[in-house]
Amino acid sequence: MKKLIIKSFLYMSVILLSLEALVRVFYLGKDTPTRFLDEYKVEKWAPNQQGFSVTGNRRQNFSEFKINNSGYNSYREFTPSKNKIEVALVGDSFIEGFHQNYYNSIGKKIENEIPNIEVYEYGYAGYDFADQLHLINAYRDQFDLIDYIVLGIKFSNDLTRSRYNVITDRSALESPFNKLLKKSKLIVYCKSIGILDPPLRLISQVSNLFSPESQSSNSHVNIAIESKKEIEYLKNFKKLVSLYGFDKSKYILILDSNVTNPIFLNYLDTNGYQYIDFFPSFTSTKKPTTLIYDKHWNNYGRTIIAKEISKFLKSKLIDIK
Amino acid sequence: MLFDSLSFFIFLPIVFVLYWFLFNKQLLLQNSFLLLTSYLFYSLWDWRFLFLILSSTILDFFVGQRIYSSDSIQLKKRWLWVSILFNLGLLGFFKYYNFFIDSWVDFVSVFGYELKSAWTLQIILPVGISFYTFQTMSYSLDIYYKRITPSRNFISFATFVSFFPQLVAGPIERASNLLSQITAKRTFNYKQCTEGLKLILWGLFKKVVIADSIAPIVDDIFANYSTYPASTLILGVSLFSFQVYGDFSGYSDIAIGTSKLFGIELMSNFKFPNFSRNVTEYWQRWHISLSTWFRHYVYIPLGGSRVNKLKSVRNIAIIFLVSGFWHGANWTFIAWGAIHAILYIPVFLMEKNRIYMNTVVAENSWFPSIKEVIQIILTFFLITFSRIFFRSESITDAYSFLLQIYSDFRFETYQHPLGYRMIDYFILLIVFILYEFIIRRNERAPFNFKSKTVRFILYTLVILGMLLFYDDSIDRSFIYFQF
Repeated sequence: MKKLIIKSFLYMSVILLSLEALVRVFYLGKDTPTRFLDEYKVEKWAPNQQGFSVTGNRRQNFSEFKINNSGYNSYREFTPSKNKIEVALVGDSFIEGFHQNYYNSIGKKIENEIPNIEVYEYGYAGYDFADQLHLINAYRDQFDLIDYIVLGIKFSNDLTRSRYNVITDRSALESPFNKLLKKSKLIVYCKSIGILDPPLRLISQVSNLFSPESQSSNSHVNIAIESKKEIEYLKNFKKLVSLYGFDKSKYILILDSNVTNPIFLNYLDTNGYQYIDFFPSFTSTKKPTTLIYDKHWNNYGRTIIAKEISKFLKSKLIDIK
Repeated sequence: MLFDSLSFFIFLPIVFVLYWFLFNKQLLLQNSFLLLTSYLFYSLWDWRFLFLILSSTILDFFVGQRIYSSDSIQLKKRWLWVSILFNLGLLGFFKYYNFFIDSWVDFVSVFGYELKSAWTLQIILPVGISFYTFQTMSYSLDIYYKRITPSRNFISFATFVSFFPQLVAGPIERASNLLSQITAKRTFNYKQCTEGLKLILWGLFKKVVIADSIAPIVDDIFANYSTYPASTLILGVSLFSFQVYGDFSGYSDIAIGTSKLFGIELMSNFKFPNFSRNVTEYWQRWHISLSTWFRHYVYIPLGGSRVNKLKSVRNIAIIFLVSGFWHGANWTFIAWGAIHAILYIPVFLMEKNRIYMNTVVAENSWFPSIKEVIQIILTFFLITFSRIFFRSESITDAYSFLLQIYSDFRFETYQHPLGYRMIDYFILLIVFILYEFIIRRNERAPFNFKSKTVRFILYTLVILGMLLFYDDSIDRSFIYFQF
């Protein structure tokens, strides 16, 4: 019996090491760049890193990322000046674009559509509206030189707070323990394909058993909570705008009207906020616009987004000329 | 609790360690622990149905003794009927009640009588009922035919009926094999345990990598068959053949492997049926525990092949129709059984039904002959054809599926419903078929290579395969649980 346990343990250890090697050889696990909190408490990637992002069990999507000197995934450095036309794209992982090669990003596609402009992509996974406005506010001297700023917004996710503060959960991903785990490509791979979800769920269920607060729900309460939340999100939007400033002439929101509350859309319309709605373009196409295994835009989806932004910018740039 | 679930991977090591460290002293302790564990395992599906197993166990335990102690044949026969009627009654009510009611309503409607199906009930099918009822019935039948003597120990007998590795989907064991092992104290055997672990690993591969990864494709094609051309429908039913094989033989391997961990050898249930050279060989290799059950308890009592040809043909037709009906309360399964009878009978009449017994394809060579390759492909094609009925929701669906193949007979590249690369699956299946061909001589030793390095590489690749094809979003339940 002892022999069985010892040999099983030994075999498992060597098999795990071999799997680690295989995952590395076939590049099945993604690279995770280091996060960084700068002097203005803006969360971004540590500058000048490079690596590959992998999606799916069998590398269904494989792309290269490159973090520039400013801490964002982009093929170019951000050097705003008065004598160029620059556009900033600010948003979450959809703008960050780890799911595409950094040299084939939305920004690059816009530059291909409109010659002689520079597009700076300030994308970072998890950035909400507070993150975005705080970033613009913190680097006001740079953003003042940029002609147009496009902000990605999802009503249900991005307006949950009325003031920026550092999200400790995201910072915790840089804890020594998490850094150690990330060193194992096998763990990173297993986590990304969901094989670690059942044990993690179990741990969470067990810990919930000992938690004094048990959540109960019923549909009436949920509807009431949802409608209360929507009002709160709108309030948060107003507070953030008044706190960090919002130049309606050069700030443009980009959103999907299908998942945006009509009250919010109505508010934007009546108060002169400019926005690009990409929902009609996404629904008018039969081709898939998102990746397999992933809700992020695929190359075709990004092309549509780039075209929508370009169309909008072209109309504005005529005004500038 | 599914064999490929996290809960089973927590449950199994705990039970294994407790069994060999704490409950290893006496036979009674071993069996009591296995019994409690089995009841716990089953109650995690649905504890209410434990009473069904318990009632079947109690009844057959006492009926077995009555059959044995009765002096007259008539009395023995009466007690035997008590067992058969009780077990078939359970099965009939839980599995077939609604089918009979609905079929009767449909039948009378042919003559213009409109009956409302008010007698149908909302009945949940208890998991494993088709398997354990057949197992307990075999016990009573074996006592009646004087093949075994009844058990005097209720704990041992109850453990035989509910032994958790094979409780919900077999192999359907006979008392002469399983009960005799349960009534003897087991001692820890290192070799047996490692063999068990290897079988579990191979079974998991077949389930997770072959069956589960193909399932979304098969589901998509059968759900939308009217929109696909012949090439896609043929692909769908061919893949279903691999899915059902990977699913059920994977389950059986895990069951046999798990039993080995507890010092118990279950019978083999699959012997590489995809390499069968004719339909009769297929039935010597596919779901062996069920086909031997029908042979022993239906075919042979009816006279088997010792009667005249006409009666033998009748007997074959009966066992295939009954076997089809055993799979589920649907005319599709009866049609499936009928097709197999039609395929089997000509081979039987040509007296070629035993020519491949105890042999394997390419018996003394590395590669099969061209004749064997043609035979294997033809047999696979015929079996796969029957599976259109097995997989379809109704006879009408199966007919429409066939009609669609005929009416839209053209080739079109199939796109995976989730957008994955189809080539991955084709490569996977080719590798799987080639590997199974290499190991075709021994279904109980999937990693039987002399070199330790080769074995180690294979374990690693099998686990890597599971990672490459793991999909948390799909339904992981075993197909045969519904039977």
